[in-house]
Amino acid sequence: MNDPKLERFLASLYVDTALRARFLCNPLEEASRAGLTPEQCHALEAIDRVGLEMAARSFTRKRDATKINKRS
Amino acid sequence: MLVGRQVFAQTASPDRVGLGWRPELAAGILAHLDSIDVIEVIADNFFPAPERAKSLRMLTSQTSVVLHGVGLGMASTSPVDQKRLAKIAKLVDIVRPESWSEHLAFVRAGDIEIGHLAAPPRTRSTIDATAENIETASKIVGTIPAMENIATLIDPPVSDLNEPDWLTRSIEASGANMLLDLHNLHANATNFGIDARQFLLSLPLHRVRQVHISGGMWIGEAPNRRLLDDHLHDPPDPVYSLLEDLAAACPNPLTVILERDGSYPPMGHLLTQLERARGALKKGRARERSEAGTFSGVAVR
Repeated sequence: MNDPKLERFLASLYVDTALRARFLCNPLEEASRAGLTPEQCHALEAIDRVGLEMAARSFTRKRDATKINKRS
Repeated sequence: MLVGRQVFAQTASPDRVGLGWRPELAAGILAHLDSIDVIEVIADNFFPAPERAKSLRMLTSQTSVVLHGVGLGMASTSPVDQKRLAKIAKLVDIVRPESWSEHLAFVRAGDIEIGHLAAPPRTRSTIDATAENIETASKIVGTIPAMENIATLIDPPVSDLNEPDWLTRSIEASGANMLLDLHNLHANATNFGIDARQFLLSLPLHRVRQVHISGGMWIGEAPNRRLLDDHLHDPPDPVYSLLEDLAAACPNPLTVILERDGSYPPMGHLLTQLERARGALKKGRARERSEAGTFSGVAVR
């Protein structure tokens, strides 16, 4: 089940390096702290960790490129 | 089914091949409009100064133009931003494109901007919310957008549908046509162990009228390397094979756009890629007619 709270947590994982590090150490605790349902929390325990790091780096590069384009 | 194929062979408009409009390519595009059937313009680039879009009227007077959005984030359980939709509507009024399109992605959550297209959890609730967002977009802009499949480096968590099923259900629930990005399909199939051709053939191809092709690069180290869709490289061979397969199986005329967002090669090189796409379409259509003729026992002319 997807909902705005879950999307907000995923978006935070993609943009917040510190949250991502805490989450990868203890997924259940961080997901619960975000108010997600038990089902969502357990599903997040099995997250694609390699993909999460790669996606987060890719999104960071895109945001940085956008900032540069806006400045130029 | 056979009747449809025969009708297509006799009445369909020709397939078209074109390029994404980028400032770096503008001069080359304008100098080669005889070799480029259609131009795709990124809508969001004109949001800060929509009056600049009036310059595109010259383009629409000379060739076919389609509009492509990247920032609406309609595959989300949050309602689509109506202010952004109003900007799209204004651009559509100014540019008068043939059609417009967006992505099956979410790009923000509240005040958190992800910065690019992110794959949402592939669930029924996302499908329902996406359909509502597309309906809102259709009402505000005046026409329904074609919706594009995205590339993702992460297998989206908390999903209960696989990608082909989720895409198919999203397209069917919304009533939208599908803009099928073949490099995104190729990258996701490669990264997550799906047979790309089976993936393609499982999609609602009767809803596909627009296609994107592009390239990418490997990132990471084996066994954890993944294919990144970066639009900085030529489309690889499998993308042209998929385009041929699509042309063989899709009943609609196809508009194929080559996307390039940097590391720009000389225009002649891009035109060669357009020709290769035309060749793949032609081979696929020939296969389609051959298979239809085989099924009916009568060659289709």
